Amino acid sequence: MNIRTMPVVAVLAFAASCSAFAADSIKIGVSGPYTGGSSPMGASMRDGVRLAAAEINAKGGILGRKIELVERDDQAQNDRGVQVAQELINKEHVVATVGYINTGVSLASQRFYEEAKIPVINNVSTGSLVTKQFLPPEFPDNYIFRNAANDTIQSAMIVREAIDVNKYTKVAILADSTNYGQLGREDLEKALAAKNIKPVAVEKFNVKDVDMTAQLLKAKEAGAQAILTYAIGPELAQIANGMEKLGWKVPMIGSWTLSMANFIDNAGKNGEGARMPQTFIQEPNTPKRKAFIAAYQQAYNPPNGRIPSPVSAAQGYDSMYILAAAIKQAGDTDGVKIRQALENLQEKVDGVVTTYDHPYTHDDHEAITMNMVVMGQVKDGHVVYANAADKANAVREKASGKAKK
Amino acid sequence: MEILAQLIVSGIALGMIYALIAFGYQLTFATSGTLNFGQGEALMLGALVGLTLVGHMSYWLMIPLVLVFGALQGIFVERVGVQPAIKTKSEFGWIMTTISLAIIFKNVAENIWGHDDITFPSPLPTEPLQFMGIRVLPMEILVVVGALAIMLAVELFNRKSIYGKAVVATSNDRDAAGLMGINTGMVITFSYALSSMTAAFAGVLVAPLTLTGATMGVVLGLKAFAVAIIGGLNSGMGVIVGGLILGIAETTTGYYVSTGYKDVPGLLLLLLVLAIKPAGMFGKSVIKKV
Repeated sequence: MNIRTMPVVAVLAFAASCSAFAADSIKIGVSGPYTGGSSPMGASMRDGVRLAAAEINAKGGILGRKIELVERDDQAQNDRGVQVAQELINKEHVVATVGYINTGVSLASQRFYEEAKIPVINNVSTGSLVTKQFLPPEFPDNYIFRNAANDTIQSAMIVREAIDVNKYTKVAILADSTNYGQLGREDLEKALAAKNIKPVAVEKFNVKDVDMTAQLLKAKEAGAQAILTYAIGPELAQIANGMEKLGWKVPMIGSWTLSMANFIDNAGKNGEGARMPQTFIQEPNTPKRKAFIAAYQQAYNPPNGRIPSPVSAAQGYDSMYILAAAIKQAGDTDGVKIRQALENLQEKVDGVVTTYDHPYTHDDHEAITMNMVVMGQVKDGHVVYANAADKANAVREKASGKAKK
Repeated sequence: MEILAQLIVSGIALGMIYALIAFGYQLTFATSGTLNFGQGEALMLGALVGLTLVGHMSYWLMIPLVLVFGALQGIFVERVGVQPAIKTKSEFGWIMTTISLAIIFKNVAENIWGHDDITFPSPLPTEPLQFMGIRVLPMEILVVVGALAIMLAVELFNRKSIYGKAVVATSNDRDAAGLMGINTGMVITFSYALSSMTAAFAGVLVAPLTLTGATMGVVLGLKAFAVAIIGGLNSGMGVIVGGLILGIAETTTGYYVSTGYKDVPGLLLLLLVLAIKPAGMFGKSVIKKV
């Protein structure tokens, strides 16, 4: 063999091995934003999924077949998400899809999976509506699952932290104008109303806005004691920095996005002390978590060892294991059978967030309940446990939904 | 009263950013009748190049280098996108080429600097200054001063230097200027260099106040375009007044009406100006001979 033909042979051999691999593999879609403002979440989620898939493949895969991930960038845009969904279903013939960071993208894309009877596990997007789009009687079976803390849980926790724990009576809501921000704002207002509190100011801003003076002045003049937020990292940083400019400092309590690296880094010292609900905090307080953090750092080597979005990475990782357990139980890659397996999962799945024991039933597609979620706090550029008690009591089981069939 | 003053001060800082970018639109429109729709991207590239340079030198030393980069980028846009369109007398070719170049620049920036928004280290203290209860960031003052300074510098250059006079002559009548021996093609290239240079300068001015990233120019470029239309595409005074109006309208509407409607008054004004005085508030209407 001379030097010219060698690369050709190598390429052919590689192609042959790939096609042999592909014919036999189980294709799983991964849809998320790997570019743009949501990318820390999307990329961490994808890396978590990859990590789990690699571990499962190293142990021989599922049903004797390897997992093949089909990753697509939905760019956090609803129309792009729809295209990705159609491509994954009709062209790639995935057996299931995990992913979705942005509530709007979830809501726009899931219809195609529901129609095709292919399960989706939302591992990050939090809108309360996400798992409730296709309910009986109109749709006998719902193919949409989730293993993230939904906005109903998050808003309740934010309000509990502000009103019950800190005894604030005057709070302002600042939310961005996306689906995520506005649905979250509704949930926050509902949760506040349940405690007979009306926010003193409810303000809105657009993604990429550079000046928050008007919003913050309104909150300040209304006498707000805390700011409750629903937005993503860069704009949250503008809020924290805007407060510094106005010389007005009240606590920020908001949805889990306050843990995003692009909030923490861009707000710097102004972001210190911000509190948010978290399903996972990068602390090796259980053996599973220790192993997960070490594996993530080794595989992706994030700057300063900090996972860009630890919650997304952990939930991405867990979603892959839940799905793998369901496929194994179904003994088949048929969407209907996988859904049935998910709704009555026998195997206890040892995840990073919790141990999933019967995470779903036919009518309950939420794996995460409020008792599993803890309050995190920004401290010295990291997210840490806000309450020491949570750190000791890290892993909790699902509260009520445990299937009793 | 204090609140109104605070809102106006913030509005002025915001408005001067818009004005500076709008000024760039004006420069090229005056000489060639074309606009660079990638003005926001020129700003973004300036800010990102500045961010890279600032790791190796001081902020003040970085500015001249960014100006040079901006000028080269403008020349590139003109040579690749605009000149062919002007040569073939295409009425609208330059619209598509400048927009597509803008998209290309954005993608290139995403590949080089990543998709995330990054903090730009502030050259001035980040502690706000206080004047009678109004709080201003030192950086905001620098934006206003810097914007006025570069606009003034360009105006002086146009009025006093021989090269500037060629620019003015070309603006007034391109064909006559050509007949007088002025290389109008060169003047147009030069105006693009100046235009992107001011945009790049605007980029390094605003970056410490906002965040730096590949998408930072999109909204700013669009709003500046509105300012250029409101103020008039051939009036230096117009862009400053237009910018201030839009900036102050945004912050005050946000406070007194609703933050959900803060962009509405500016756009209403845009519609109004287009309906009543299409050349802009300060623009001279030109009769187009056909």
